[in-house]
Amino acid sequence: MSRTRQSGNSTVWSLVLFATLALFAATLYMIFVVAPVEQQMGIVQKIFYFHVPSAYAMYIGFGVSAVGSAVYLLKRDPKWDAVGVAGAEVGTLFCLIVLLTGPLWARKAWGVWWTWDPRLTTTLLAGMIFAAYLALRSMGDAGEVEKRFAAGLALFGLVDLPLIHFSVQRWRGVHPTVITGKGGGLESEMYWALGLSFIAFTGLAVLLIWARASVERQREETARLRLELMHR
Amino acid sequence: MRALIAALVLGCTMLITPLALADSPPEPDTTDAGAQEDAAEERATQFVGVRGPEAESIPGGALLLAAYAVVWALLFLFLLRMRGLQRQTAEELERLSAQIRASEGQ
Repeated sequence: MSRTRQSGNSTVWSLVLFATLALFAATLYMIFVVAPVEQQMGIVQKIFYFHVPSAYAMYIGFGVSAVGSAVYLLKRDPKWDAVGVAGAEVGTLFCLIVLLTGPLWARKAWGVWWTWDPRLTTTLLAGMIFAAYLALRSMGDAGEVEKRFAAGLALFGLVDLPLIHFSVQRWRGVHPTVITGKGGGLESEMYWALGLSFIAFTGLAVLLIWARASVERQREETARLRLELMHR
Repeated sequence: MRALIAALVLGCTMLITPLALADSPPEPDTTDAGAQEDAAEERATQFVGVRGPEAESIPGGALLLAAYAVVWALLFLFLLRMRGLQRQTAEELERLSAQIRASEGQ
């Protein structure tokens, strides 16, 4: 990679980083100062402003992983394999956030930590698929076969994403449908807080995938050099 | 005339009696035995353990705090892990590059 391109990437990276940090500050202000406390659930409803954008960031991560994996299967270019790994890791991180913040809200709203609601179940399933992907990739230096198998697993995980999204509309469950389906919507201040949070989480997901893919490319380079040394 | 007076008395009696009965308050049970029986009925005779979410009430603030702490903690751990990976890979790259340079010099 040329020095000019590296410098340009570094500038874009810094810009996205500062914009994301500023957006997070604004989001927290909107959530805790501007947005009103919800009438029925009280203050615990404010978990929603991080829970829903985390689910959206999870979609981004898993989606990027599936795209990277598909392109890798077609071109066999390690660069796309790195994108697949980075997307899977970041998607799993946000999936974990969703699966931990959701029960904290549910304990107050539903009276239980967990219920086998379609959306909860399909989200858990997606988390398990991509956890299997990461487990497969963490077994030392993955060979070509492991990489291809993991790429197939990421594509299989992609099938679950529309199931998560449409589960609240197609199947009967208890998960709220405030912003999807036929929900009653939100007050304007709540919409602003949620909208800013969505943008902040998008920036965060992009930054994390970018950084993780860069590290993965370096690891690929290390593996290549090691192999080169072995054959000398 | 007597018949008229008798008819008026009868009519008034018929009008006043229902009103008088309607206004009269119910007779209170003032006996000691009755009062004791009521108190005994109100007294708990068994203890039943509450099952399910009604057993305790968790304040929403604590749950909210826990949720936001989880988000920041997981992000921080992920960044730490990525930093560790990056450092490890950079060291490995440096070591391998040095080995390659050394083997080329030979």
